[in-house]
Amino acid sequence: MLGLDYSWLADPAYQRWLLIGVVNTLKLAALSSSAAIVIGMLGALGFTFRIFWLDALIELFVEVFRNTPPLLQMLFAYFTLSTLGLKVTDPSTGLSVPLLSAFACAAISLSLFGGALAIEAFRSGIETMPRSIVDAARSLGYGRWARFWRIEAPIATRICLPALTNILTNLFKTTSQASVITVPELMYYAGQIYNDTFRTLEVMILVLLIYVALVSMLTFAMARLEAFMAFPGYGRGL
Amino acid sequence: MTGFKRMMGVSALALATVFVAGAAVAGTLDNVKARGKLIVGVKNDYVPYGYLNDKGEVVGFEVSLAKYVARELLGSEDKIELVPVIAANRIDFLTAGRIDAIFATLGVTAERAKVIDFTTEYVSAAGPSVLMAKETIISKWEELKGKSVCGIQGSYYNKKMTEEFGITLVAFKTQPEAYRALKDNRCIGFVFDDMTLQQKLKEADWTGYKIAVAPYEFQPMAGGVRKDDAEFREAVDKAIGKAEAEGKLIAWETEFGMPHSDYIAARAKAASAKKN
Repeated sequence: MLGLDYSWLADPAYQRWLLIGVVNTLKLAALSSSAAIVIGMLGALGFTFRIFWLDALIELFVEVFRNTPPLLQMLFAYFTLSTLGLKVTDPSTGLSVPLLSAFACAAISLSLFGGALAIEAFRSGIETMPRSIVDAARSLGYGRWARFWRIEAPIATRICLPALTNILTNLFKTTSQASVITVPELMYYAGQIYNDTFRTLEVMILVLLIYVALVSMLTFAMARLEAFMAFPGYGRGL
Repeated sequence: MTGFKRMMGVSALALATVFVAGAAVAGTLDNVKARGKLIVGVKNDYVPYGYLNDKGEVVGFEVSLAKYVARELLGSEDKIELVPVIAANRIDFLTAGRIDAIFATLGVTAERAKVIDFTTEYVSAAGPSVLMAKETIISKWEELKGKSVCGIQGSYYNKKMTEEFGITLVAFKTQPEAYRALKDNRCIGFVFDDMTLQQKLKEADWTGYKIAVAPYEFQPMAGGVRKDDAEFREAVDKAIGKAEAEGKLIAWETEFGMPHSDYIAARAKAASAKKN
């Protein structure tokens, strides 16, 4: 009916581009997701100390990176940081070149953006935890660290898993914006392929399916993790 | 979310393109006459072919040509609507019926000929060249192998750059980003349309740069019309032929500060010989 034409897929160059695109998308998503989780945990841990200046610092971080578009953060990291002096001298040419590559800029921006969201998710997990559990732990003689790692963190992680799944899926899809700063991920090559072939619809359908497949794998894994970690009385635990 | 949204948006646009293209195949000439206005896609950021002058009007070599065609078809060069287009959307705009014709630095390629029809070719445009720092010793495409070169996403020659010349292409969405990246030394050169780079070199802060690698090809440029609409294409061709015979294209070269090309002179001569 629409006369879909996928003959361009036979071109080895386009096959290679799509493959490189998928690999780079996965690399970027994996790196920034892991970093975002680590940042989220550290930030939430920081809040539990209830130190005035540390709270203010974490809140400032959250506000800055959550309230600005990740696209802008990437452009800023890519174009502005080197102008501000983040440069090194390339020994082979003697030229002054930017320190951070396009991929590094994208990975760092996405990590900080995802991290800011994750801090809030983990904090909500800790704050919604029943006080009675914390009090019980305290009366059993758990110290500050042991209480966080053995009681608060495990329960909070379970409570905030659905929110974390949302953040990670969003982060995965936001990797597509890295094409703007020349990171050769899936959308970067998709654009070039439909500009070459004019098969806009066909390329878009394929890329859409690839994203659905990749993100579905992530959400499936997160759902399994949620089921695996469930314990009686919480979430999906019976 | 944003990535997904953008994809959905583009897919919907593409979908609309497919449906509308089916509906509006023939009869553009009748439509234009009934409407009393020719709708043309032109560049508005591309000296000398289509750009904004000091008063904010769209002018240029191809804008003058489009106005001439409007005059031939409808009796007045004011019976025209100029729609700014970019390389990435001009063909979609045409097939979707938003514009009647493209006069926007459209290079004639076999790939495009599958989707649209070309009018008479009227310019032989130099293909891409490479802008590099003056000190460079690179002068051939082959010498760029393995080097990072800035470019623009979606350019028709990008595949040739990476696959044939083995260039590591660093492709941006827009020109200002690519120029910035070149100055930041994120790439050793900027591969782009030769005419644009030549104009850039006239600017004061680009004196330390030169066209290091010359174009590997010269490509004919033509107008674009919807496929299989011979009546309209012939009417436009006739108008272009008349402009060539009257020496208009040579006059426009002068008006818009282009070097006089042998190609346009030869076509003018042939067209006027044909007329007499």
